Amino acid sequence: MCGVPFLLLIEDDDAIRTGLELGLSRQGHRVVAAATGEDGLRLLKEQRPDLIVLDVMLPGIDGFEVCRRIRRTDQLPIILLTARSDDIDVVVGLESGADDYVIKPVQPRVLDARIRAVLRRGERDSTDSAAFGPIVIDRNAMTVTKDGQDLQLTPTELRLLLELSRRPGQALSRQQLLRLVWEHDYLGDSRLVDACVQRLRAKIEDVPSSPTLIRTVRGVGYRLDTPQ
Amino acid sequence: MSLRPGAGRAGRASGGLRWTSLRLRLVAVFALVALTAAVSVSGIAYWLNRDAVLTRAQNSALNDFRDSLQRNAASLPVAPTCESLEKAADQIGGPDTYQVVLIDTAPDGSPCAAPSDRDVFTLDDVPASLQRAVNTPHKNDDNRYHLHWERISLQGHPYLVAGARINRDGPTGYMLKSLDAERKDLNSLAWSLGIATLLALIGAALLAQAAGSAVLRPVRRLGEAAQRLGEGHLDTRLKVTGTDELAEMSRTFNSAAEALETRVEELSAREAASRRFVADMSHELRTPLTAITAVTDVLEDEAEALDPMIAPAVRLVVSETRRLNELVETLMEVTRFDAGTAKLRVDEVDVADMIMACMDARAWLDSVELDAPRGLLATLDPRRLDVIMANLIGNALKHGGSPVRVTLRREGEQIVVAVSDHGPGIPEGVLPHVFDRFYKADASRARSEGSGLGLSIARENAHIHGGDITAANSPSGGAVFTLRLPVRPAEDDPDDPDGPDRPHGGAGSPA
Repeated sequence: MCGVPFLLLIEDDDAIRTGLELGLSRQGHRVVAAATGEDGLRLLKEQRPDLIVLDVMLPGIDGFEVCRRIRRTDQLPIILLTARSDDIDVVVGLESGADDYVIKPVQPRVLDARIRAVLRRGERDSTDSAAFGPIVIDRNAMTVTKDGQDLQLTPTELRLLLELSRRPGQALSRQQLLRLVWEHDYLGDSRLVDACVQRLRAKIEDVPSSPTLIRTVRGVGYRLDTPQ
Repeated sequence: MSLRPGAGRAGRASGGLRWTSLRLRLVAVFALVALTAAVSVSGIAYWLNRDAVLTRAQNSALNDFRDSLQRNAASLPVAPTCESLEKAADQIGGPDTYQVVLIDTAPDGSPCAAPSDRDVFTLDDVPASLQRAVNTPHKNDDNRYHLHWERISLQGHPYLVAGARINRDGPTGYMLKSLDAERKDLNSLAWSLGIATLLALIGAALLAQAAGSAVLRPVRRLGEAAQRLGEGHLDTRLKVTGTDELAEMSRTFNSAAEALETRVEELSAREAASRRFVADMSHELRTPLTAITAVTDVLEDEAEALDPMIAPAVRLVVSETRRLNELVETLMEVTRFDAGTAKLRVDEVDVADMIMACMDARAWLDSVELDAPRGLLATLDPRRLDVIMANLIGNALKHGGSPVRVTLRREGEQIVVAVSDHGPGIPEGVLPHVFDRFYKADASRARSEGSGLGLSIARENAHIHGGDITAANSPSGGAVFTLRLPVRPAEDDPDDPDGPDRPHGGAGSPA
């Protein structure tokens, strides 16, 4: 993950694919592109990119399915390319495991900023560790274990857990989390936070539907508690 | 809209009482006709009857009197005494038929009046006019007695009085016959006729009522149907029964409603088609725009190094592409509002922070005075508030004059944001149209002033929150746009997964 970021772009429209390849290469990324979900999954295995930029509307298997299949084995960051921000696409995409989304038409500079923000989440920031009940967060190794078992977290999920664990017992608003984890500006979409919290709960909570670690704080946001 | 049916009912209720109501007029006309007919028929019947009854009674009494007088006069001596006169009077008259007074001059020269019953009938009861007529001699006459009669009223009872002279210079006879029986008959006839008239009147009123109902029920049904039609129920139809004028009217109404429905369907289908076209078109435009936008950054970065002849062209392409992007984005937003698919994605935010960030992102902090206390939290869609504020402040900066002032207050359960400028204000004629799509105050204003959709979209964004934006002119000059938004949106939208309940979802409710 050092040096030039290596991206896999999955987009069926030739012109958009070519344009984004051009634009992203110009921003200093190494880009490999695929026109279908199947090609994309194949290239993912062969080339091991750092991040995937994934169009939602694809012929054959669509973006959501691609996303779900990647998440079965890989935790690398995925950014969705979607048509509209208030579409159901965004919700479904985030539930399938996407880390962030951008709306078409997107400027390469904006996409670049999102890519870099996502990639930064995998960087280690300190060297201590913390324990919350069965969950142990090792900030040095950037790993999370539950009852000694390694948990497969995406960089975004990990960063969210890290930000929450840095202020245990303190509620963080969705807007705060959007700034800290996603590095979004004031118009960040709080659905990103909610979707990521749901995914994180599914991985770390004993019973995801009645969480004891990541608690919802009514009217504010979320809080990480040490279970009693 | 919702008040109208109630108002309509009230209107109909008061209409039933109005003097000009059709029902009342019908009843009045029917009653008048019935009254006229009944009164004239009864009147004529009464008068004919009266005449017939009286004439018959009178004639029989007079004939009887004449015969009796003739008979008894023959038996009288030439110069009868008072006693013989009295005897004759008793013979002529009787308590069952009529009373009689015979008058003559006694042989001794004294007048003699012989009544059959002194208590009932004397000469004083005979009117002077009748006495005069009886005493007037008839020159050219045969042997017959001239019988004169008159109807009089004694102590409130009707009587027939008649008188005649027996022979020339003979005694004079008068009779008095009570007409009480006839009057009683006539009175009961009058009563009967009066009752019949009354019954006719009542019958007429009932008939009028029935006729009124028969006519007015379809009319009222028509009125109600027309009202329903006006309220937008274009499938309203009337049941056509019969072949009369009212049925014809119902048929006309039905065909008019059908034509209207077809027309409205056509229009809305056409409008839906054109909206779909705009939506599809803006969607289709997005694909090439995405591709072009992806390379604009490359072009922009390279413009410095390009030939000075080509660089401006490249910059133009880049800037116009961005504007095209904005335009398509705006169009899509409009189509979402039109289709009702625009959704709220609420979050609890500090409104002052939001406004500050909105101005900061557009480098307006230096040109706008902001008076907004921090800590005022509201549950709203941050992106939509940003659109509203960007449009209101942008509009004030463009069309108004500096300084532009933004104030934020909380009033009850609403946040109120006022954006005021010190420009020339908005002309009164333009004020109602400032939120109309593509309405531009100055026709000569070039398209560079904006899409013409900004304020319209701002207001739609306020409406979707359950709020509103109003435009006015400040008394101190300049325009004031006031945005009002509820502190938290109405919690009656269970379909919206991002609704206000979401932050309270707690234990994993968003599955």
